[in-house]
Amino acid sequence: MRFGAMAAAVVCALAALAAGGCQKEAPAPAPPPASGAAAPLRILSLAPNLTEILFAMGLGDRVVGRSTYCAYPPEAAALPAVGDTLQLNLERVVALKPTVAFLITRRDDVPRRLEAVGVRAVALRSDHMSEMLQSVATIGRETGHEADAQMLLDHIQVGLMRVRARVKGLPRPKVLFAFPMTIGSPQMMVAGRGTFVDELLDVAGAANAYPKTADWPTLSPQAVIGLGPEVVIVNATAEDAAPDRLEAVRRAWANWTSVPAVKAGRVHVLTETFLTIPGPRVVQAAAVLAEAIHPELRGATPEGARP
Amino acid sequence: MIRPRPVTARRYVAALGGWLVAWVLVAAAAVLLGTENIWAWESWESVRTVLGIRLYLVLTASIVGASLALAGLAFQALLRNPLADPYILGVSGGASLGVILSSLCFSILLAPLFGFVGALATVAVVYAVAQRRGRLEPYTLLLSGVIINAFYGAAIMLVVALASPMERGSIAYWMMGSIGTFDPRGTPVVAVVGGLAVAVAVVFAFLAKGFNLVVVGEDTAGALGVRVERLRLVAFVAASLVTGASVALVGPIGFVGLICPHLLRLALGPDHRRLVPASFFFGAIFLVLADLATRLLASVGDQAPPVGVLTAMCGGPFFIYLLRTRWRRAAEVR
Amino acid sequence: MAKDADNAAAAGTPAPGAPAPGAGRGAPYLEVRGLGFAYRPGAAVLAGLSFDVGRGRLVNLLGPNGSGKTTLLRILVGLLVPAEGEVRLAGIALADYPRGALARRIAYVPQETASAAAFTVLETVLMGRSPHTGALGFETPADWYAAREALRLTETEAFAERSLEELSGGERQRVVIARAIAQEADLVLLDEPTAFLDIKHQHAIYGLLARLVAERGLTAVCVSHDLNLAAAYADDLVLLAAGRVAARGTPAEVLRPEVLRPVYETPLEVRTDEVTGRPYVLLRRGAV
Repeated sequence: MRFGAMAAAVVCALAALAAGGCQKEAPAPAPPPASGAAAPLRILSLAPNLTEILFAMGLGDRVVGRSTYCAYPPEAAALPAVGDTLQLNLERVVALKPTVAFLITRRDDVPRRLEAVGVRAVALRSDHMSEMLQSVATIGRETGHEADAQMLLDHIQVGLMRVRARVKGLPRPKVLFAFPMTIGSPQMMVAGRGTFVDELLDVAGAANAYPKTADWPTLSPQAVIGLGPEVVIVNATAEDAAPDRLEAVRRAWANWTSVPAVKAGRVHVLTETFLTIPGPRVVQAAAVLAEAIHPELRGATPEGARP
Repeated sequence: MIRPRPVTARRYVAALGGWLVAWVLVAAAAVLLGTENIWAWESWESVRTVLGIRLYLVLTASIVGASLALAGLAFQALLRNPLADPYILGVSGGASLGVILSSLCFSILLAPLFGFVGALATVAVVYAVAQRRGRLEPYTLLLSGVIINAFYGAAIMLVVALASPMERGSIAYWMMGSIGTFDPRGTPVVAVVGGLAVAVAVVFAFLAKGFNLVVVGEDTAGALGVRVERLRLVAFVAASLVTGASVALVGPIGFVGLICPHLLRLALGPDHRRLVPASFFFGAIFLVLADLATRLLASVGDQAPPVGVLTAMCGGPFFIYLLRTRWRRAAEVR
Repeated sequence: MAKDADNAAAAGTPAPGAPAPGAGRGAPYLEVRGLGFAYRPGAAVLAGLSFDVGRGRLVNLLGPNGSGKTTLLRILVGLLVPAEGEVRLAGIALADYPRGALARRIAYVPQETASAAAFTVLETVLMGRSPHTGALGFETPADWYAAREALRLTETEAFAERSLEELSGGERQRVVIARAIAQEADLVLLDEPTAFLDIKHQHAIYGLLARLVAERGLTAVCVSHDLNLAAAYADDLVLLAAGRVAARGTPAEVLRPEVLRPVYETPLEVRTDEVTGRPYVLLRRGAV
């Protein structure tokens, strides 16, 4: 039993070691820099739309790291990637020494993880237009570039107002915004009421054919037929934008002749990637949607060139 | 295969010391190695931060690896089945459901707590279903576990189906099992789970003699003075608790609880007095190395793949190896 | 049974069935009193079972299928709790022994020797020392000596490092008996130890048991099917029928046609072996 006690003592010491080693103090997170602070601004952007906003505000040279999915603008793609909010490469984050990180998340643990390694984390939202605009303002405040933020906000709001003006007076059709069907299933995801895309449709002078408030419900063909949309926008991006896939999507839709949009030939397959990104290119997105929805507008000058 | 001579106290302590040294070496290597070349950095503050992150990961991996290996060993003895792993009785399903429901409906920070509560509830349910007149027989225990696992699989599928696509992604990711969640305010939780693992290891060390006898035969064990029913109950509860705690902390990392006891049995023989301390330390070392491998793989992509992916990939080749060597040899003997 | 012993004591001569002189006379070592047991209510397997076993005797429990032999043995080992009656070992009831103490006094050799793990012969025999080793199960030189002795007595030293699975049935059975010897128990309970063995190994096992009883003063209680084997080696026989003792005594007393025929419900004859003086049972084909 003597040796048993010794063995127990050894493992207890090990446990104490483990517990003691865990009581490490986290380095204090850096405080937000005041306007015109001397400390250089190093920004980590963890969402594609936030990256676009930062570059649109002229802060592109301050961005030191991005998430894996930030692909636009092309200058951003050259930056080192640190993963995404689900799985962050914390070592690389520390290596980049950012002073502030902007991310889109509702979870509590991701900002805390960043704060634990000494990076000030600002969690933003962009589910609605108002939230996106608020995020731009917040970024301006956090980085001390309120003027640039205001310029971007003005640009966006003016652009959207122009699109609204163009479609004013035109009939408001019922529009369904959908993604292509997943392979092997006839079901598809559509934009419900209250989503960002829904707000874009409103700016583009249309009513959402899907009547209920929902994020991205999945519909069967019967449900789509039941909704009876007058115009259908299918947003095919990435792998779905391959020519054979596009053709398959067009053929699938052409089959459903009882849908008013199909009968009227108003099913538009759009391959623009920015239609669902709540960022600076919403003006372009609204314009593209408006032209797709309202045949009267085609032929006029395209709106919303990139600033 | 080495078949050492009988187990004496002196050899036991020497083996413990040897394993401890091995673990310290592996842990040190895992803390010092990584994709970022931190030794070229000027800022000592940043280096300290990264070392802190790695130390946290190494300790968590050690505790979880040790827990799962111990639980796997205990279940293999309890169920007299070398294919048993810690998740076979449904505890991981209960812990997973608790974590998922908590992160969807309540708070993600409380998720480990809910996970552990889910595990406790599962232990109670499995016991209630499996026991007959207070006795836990291996066969009924196994069947109950299969049933409970099926139930939890269905429940989790339902929750996932009702969740939003974004939530589905994070749930799917968590279910793969990953150590890389560094949160310094989570260190008390890790310390508690660590203490639990150590306590269970000590308990199993005292039960090791009984495990040997029970594996030989229930009657033989009873005749040699082993309280078989008490042994089964204690082993079941202890192994389930430590499994539930691990899953609640890092998700269901697979194959560690299955492979580690097996490999050790091949090397050290079926004597549980050797296998219990060996499983504790080897499980820790195994998972620390697996986590280190995933972190080194981060240089290939942008982030490390979840460690559960790596351990799952080890599973297939391991079973092929088992099939071709040990089982065929056993069949020939018979 | 007890009646004979009483009569004999009154007459001043040792009665048949009583312990031989010098083999620990006095109180019997194992006493079974009024044992009753049922696996299901209403289906009693044992009822009012009573007999004694003296120290240093090789006793066989005989009886047809369903007579309760195995149930009785399991109660003696402590694996089952009797519904009625009690069992006393050296005057103390089994229920009053602490579990560890009981394991140091009673050894059990089960019928089935297959195991779920590949322990070596030495490890298996060392397991018999577990009632003597501490909580963590460390072994001391005393344990190794007992194990080596047990291997020597059962002539299994040559297999010490081999895995149990590689041995033949007879060799495995000797190893399990070695385990029981290593336990240094006074009472060994065996459940049909020769059930799956050929005649050479059957005689080897019984010969070993008889030697251990004679040389080391063990008491062995053996459940058996084989009447002739029991007749050849046992000191005492206990014949069970329908959960009760039908006859008890030396082989010559128990193996009599008038005793056996009603119990086994089979016509048989009993002859005496001229060489050994022991009875043997003869069956004839076709006679019903």
